[in-house]
Formats: sequence, structure tokens, C-alpha cells
Amino acid sequence: MTWRYRFVFLGLVFLFLLVVAKLFYWQVVKAQELSLLGQEQYGTTTTIMPQRGEIRTSDGFPIAANKVSYLVFANPKEIKNKDEVSTILASTLQIDIASVSADLALDKFWVPIKSGVDTKIKQNLEKMNLPGVGFDNQYQRFYPEASMAAQLLGFVGKDSAGNNKGYFGLEGFYDRLLSGKQGLAVEVNDAFGRPILAEMNQSTGVTDGANLIISINRSIQFLVEQKIKDGVEQYGATSGMVGIMDPKTGAILAMAVYPNFDPRDYQDYSDDLYKNPFISDLYEPGSTFKPLVMSAAMNAKLVTPDTKCNICTGPVSVSGYQLETWDNKYFPNTNMVDVIQHSDNTGMVFVAQKLGVDGMINYLGKFGIGDNTGIDLQGEVSASLKPKNEWYAVDLATTGFGQGISVTPIELLDATAAIANDGVRMQPQVVAAVEDADGNTTKITPKVLDTPISPGTAKVMAQIMVNAVNKGEASWARLKGYSVAGKTGTASIPVSGHYDPNQTIASFVGFAPSDNPKFAMLVILNRPTASIYGADTAAPIFFDIAKSLFSYYRIPPEGN
Amino acid sequence: MQKPVLLIGILALTVFGLSIVRTYISNQVATSGVMLGQIQEQIDAYKMQNVLLSVNLYTKSSLTNIAEEASKEGFVEQTTGFVLSGQVPVAYKQ
Repeated sequence: MTWRYRFVFLGLVFLFLLVVAKLFYWQVVKAQELSLLGQEQYGTTTTIMPQRGEIRTSDGFPIAANKVSYLVFANPKEIKNKDEVSTILASTLQIDIASVSADLALDKFWVPIKSGVDTKIKQNLEKMNLPGVGFDNQYQRFYPEASMAAQLLGFVGKDSAGNNKGYFGLEGFYDRLLSGKQGLAVEVNDAFGRPILAEMNQSTGVTDGANLIISINRSIQFLVEQKIKDGVEQYGATSGMVGIMDPKTGAILAMAVYPNFDPRDYQDYSDDLYKNPFISDLYEPGSTFKPLVMSAAMNAKLVTPDTKCNICTGPVSVSGYQLETWDNKYFPNTNMVDVIQHSDNTGMVFVAQKLGVDGMINYLGKFGIGDNTGIDLQGEVSASLKPKNEWYAVDLATTGFGQGISVTPIELLDATAAIANDGVRMQPQVVAAVEDADGNTTKITPKVLDTPISPGTAKVMAQIMVNAVNKGEASWARLKGYSVAGKTGTASIPVSGHYDPNQTIASFVGFAPSDNPKFAMLVILNRPTASIYGADTAAPIFFDIAKSLFSYYRIPPEGN
Repeated sequence: MQKPVLLIGILALTVFGLSIVRTYISNQVATSGVMLGQIQEQIDAYKMQNVLLSVNLYTKSSLTNIAEEASKEGFVEQTTGFVLSGQVPVAYKQ
């Protein structure tokens, strides 16, 4: 009897546990789903779209915000005089009358006529009191500064499901954070369709997007946009760009590209303008690369500022290639300070050969060349350095003066900023803080990426670059009384396996004040026609902007 | 056994009283949905107005707009500037 008793008892316990498990499944695991299902039967469920987060500049101004626009819809069954209504809608909304007529001819209760209609037009239509025509509110991205920092911001378009989605720049990189989380709202109604008190507007799961506070200084950005536009037009370039960063933190203060586009009407512009060339375009940096190679060799104690170049008497022949200086002038026994001042290609071949392939790969890697910088913008690219066994003697030689190697402008700016920051390379960062929907702010701390050179080497290199500014080919444009470290660049553009002598990328990279840098800046002009040289085109733009920055930061000239 | 007449009476009265209260409250709040709906509409209207005014404010205070307006008014970029780099005394002791 005992075993029978136990068998029945255990069987009952097992059945009881099964019931408990099933109840747990329905009441805990599927609780929310079933609850919504039930609510849908006695109320209406609507998807609540979260409001997209704003993007604010360092002064708190929303450079990307949201505005209300309207979807105009119609109920064709309520419209009696369809021809007249079609004509009015077409002329007010500026759309094709045939399309409106076709919509109104449909046997439906609801047809969308046009979305993104602004308030004034909506008010005009409301005054006409058209029967069967209604409006739905929509939130639309709004950029108060129009095309300012367009490539940096990106834009908001639609995904395949018709939902808002950020593309390019910050809108693309931080899309998930800015978008927030969709929620569901259930409104329980009585028999007459009126909302019931206790069950009003139960919304679940909706979270508005976070706001981004970026390091972009609106005043500097505005200034830089004007200067690069004027520069491109003045020097007949096809395009131009400027990037300014704080070398001590990696914070991007301004990033301007011209030509640009208006993110409000991005669809009216060519797709080519959407990407940010400062992070997405590779180019051969030319002479602006020389300070990196020189500081690497000095840091490795392979050369000093007084080291004499013993191959600088004329063109240098490497593996059958003849390497010349940009102006065909040669300075026998020139020292390293003068090599940078004269932008001497043969001198840099000397330095590169001293550094060797191992040293070159090692130091370029530490400067971040060949890797993404990790800037928080969508679309950054980089060209990896070749593996050691693919470096030929001529590759090493030309890399010394910045040809035969491809970088993005942000890579070069970040590497040069390391020289300004006592040899410490920071990660470029656009977003300084994130503010969530509850108003809690999380600051993003600056990140050190590497220390390619020592503080001592950085100081010496900065002085060599100051000398290059004061005595080099761009000295005519310099600002007297200010200690600016910089280097011009005139890079040939490779076309079908050879370099086009008439088309260049002119640039100028530098930082100031050299002893305690407040900013590092890179100016690039693509194919300038007024002059092909960086000293004649990019340098004056650099110093023009620097002059305004000194004034903005209240940095007085040294001495009288 | 004595019946708890008093207790039963109190319970019955309580049930009756609560039923009256419930009926009264239900009656009172039955039409509150309409009022709440109106309040909600008002809140939405204010929110909408806030957004519209913000857009207007942002547009007016954008540097792009200010520069455009300044240009119309005849303001031009300052091209000359000076810096007092040394300390100049405002008065000399005699």
C-alpha cells in the first residue's frame, strides 16, 4: 500500500508543478503581451514615436532640433466637389494636380496627400475650411543653422520601414542614442468612445532620444565656414576643408567642408556631398607629413636638429627613381631644421633612410597612420600601412616626404596634434556629453590613444615648425608677434599611375601658440588653380583663421 | 449559541455604505473622461505651441540668420584691429 500511496502523491505533486509552471508562463513570461492583447480589445493602441534627441553645440544652441510639420490627408468620401478641392490642394501644396485628383478618386476613407507641410501652409488650408481634408502632426528634423557643419551632422532620412533614421556624421553614428525607444499607448474608451478616467493614456516603453552636447564651438564653426568658402572661391579650388581640434583633449572645435549641403533638403543635393571628406577621403599628404617622420627620427635619436644631410647636394636616386626637391633647389650639408624650413624632399629621404622600414612602420603606427582614429562620426576610413615585406626602398624614401602613402585629413590632424600635446596623441571626439531623456548628463572623458614621441622631442619639433613658419615659403602670410608652428603641403595627385604636375592638394597644418597650444588646425584645398602651392593658398587661409582665433581666445601677441 | 447580531449589522451597514459611496464616486467620475480629454488636448496644444515658438526662436537666434540680418543693415567684418600687448599706466606719479 505504501508504494501506491507514494506513487499517487508524487503524481499529484508533479501535476501541481505543471500547473504552477504553466501559470508562471502565462502570468509572468507572457504577461505584457497578453495584457496588451486584452487592452486592445477594449481600447485603442497606438505607437508612440519618441522625440529625436537634439544636437547642441558647446554654447547649448541646438544645431539639430525638431520641428512640427503636418501630413495633409483627405477622406474622398466626404469631398463632393473633387475637382475644386484638387485644384486648391495642388496649388497650395505645390504638387501635381493629376496626382491629387487620382488620390481623391480612390474609394477609401483616408488618403495621404502630402507630408512635411509647414505651419503657414497648414494655416492657409485651415482657413479655407475644406470638407474632408485633415492634418496629422509629424515631427521633422530641423537645422536652425541650415548648412553649417552639414557633413559633420549628417541628416535624418527614412529606413526601409519608413521610420526616421540618421545617416552620415553624428546623426548616423549616434542614431540609436538619438532615436530613443518607441512605445505603445493604450487609451481605454467607454461605449461612446470617450476616454475612461482610470485608464487614460497608459503608455509603455517610450523613451525620448538623448541629447548630444558636442564640442563644436558655434562661433568658430561659423567663422571657419565663411573662410573656407571664400578661400575655395578665391583660389579656384574644387573643394576645401578645415578641421580644428584642441590638442590637449582631442575635442573637435570646428570641421567645415565646402561645398556642403543643407541637411533640411538633403535630397536636392548630389550624394557625393553627403560624406565628410575630412574623415572619409584618402589623399597623399605631401610635405605636411614631414614633421611626423622628422620627429620620429629625432625621438629614435637617429638625427638631431644639427645633423647634416650628406645626400642633399642634388636629386637622389633610389631604385632607379630620381627624387627631386619641389623647387629644384638643393642645399648641401643642410641641417634638419633647414630641411623642414626648405621643405627639402632629399633631406627627408635622408631622414627616412636613417629611420628604416621598421622604424617608419613602428612610428607611423604610433602616430595613428594606417588606422581609424575612432572619431565618433559615421564614415571614417583609413588605408592600412603595407606589410613590411612589401616596402621597397623607394617607398621608404617617398614616405619621408609624404608621397606614396595615403591618409585621411583627420589622421594627419590628430598626429600633428600629438606634437602639440607633448607627444601624447588623443582620440578625436565630437560629442562632449550625453544628456538622457531624464536630464542626466554623462560627460565623455578624453581618451589617450598613444604616446608616439617624448615631450622633449615634441618641444624641439614644435620649434622647428615655428622656424618653418617664420622663415619658410609661407612666411609672408604669418602673423607677426605670434608663435605658430606649422608646415605647408603641396601634394601631387596620382592619376592613372603617374602624378599630374598641374593638379595638387594644397594644405597647411599647424598649431598655436606653440608653447601652450590652444588649437591644432589643418586646411586643405583640392586642386587650387590660382596657385598649386600650399604656401600660396592654404597657408593664408590658415593664418586668417588663426588671427580670428587669437582674437576670440584673447591671446595677445608676444612682446610689442 | 448567541448570534453576533451586532457584528452582522455593522458589516451589512458597511457594505451598504460603501456601495453608496462607490455609486456616488462612479457617478462623479463618469464624465471626468471628457474633461480629461479636454485637458489632454490643451496640454498637447501648449506643447505644440512650445515647439513652434522654439523653432522660431532657434531660427531667429541662429548665427546664419544674424549674419544675414547684419549684412542687410550694412554691418561689415572688422578687418583692422589692435592689441594692447604691454601694460600702459593710466597715470604717472610725479
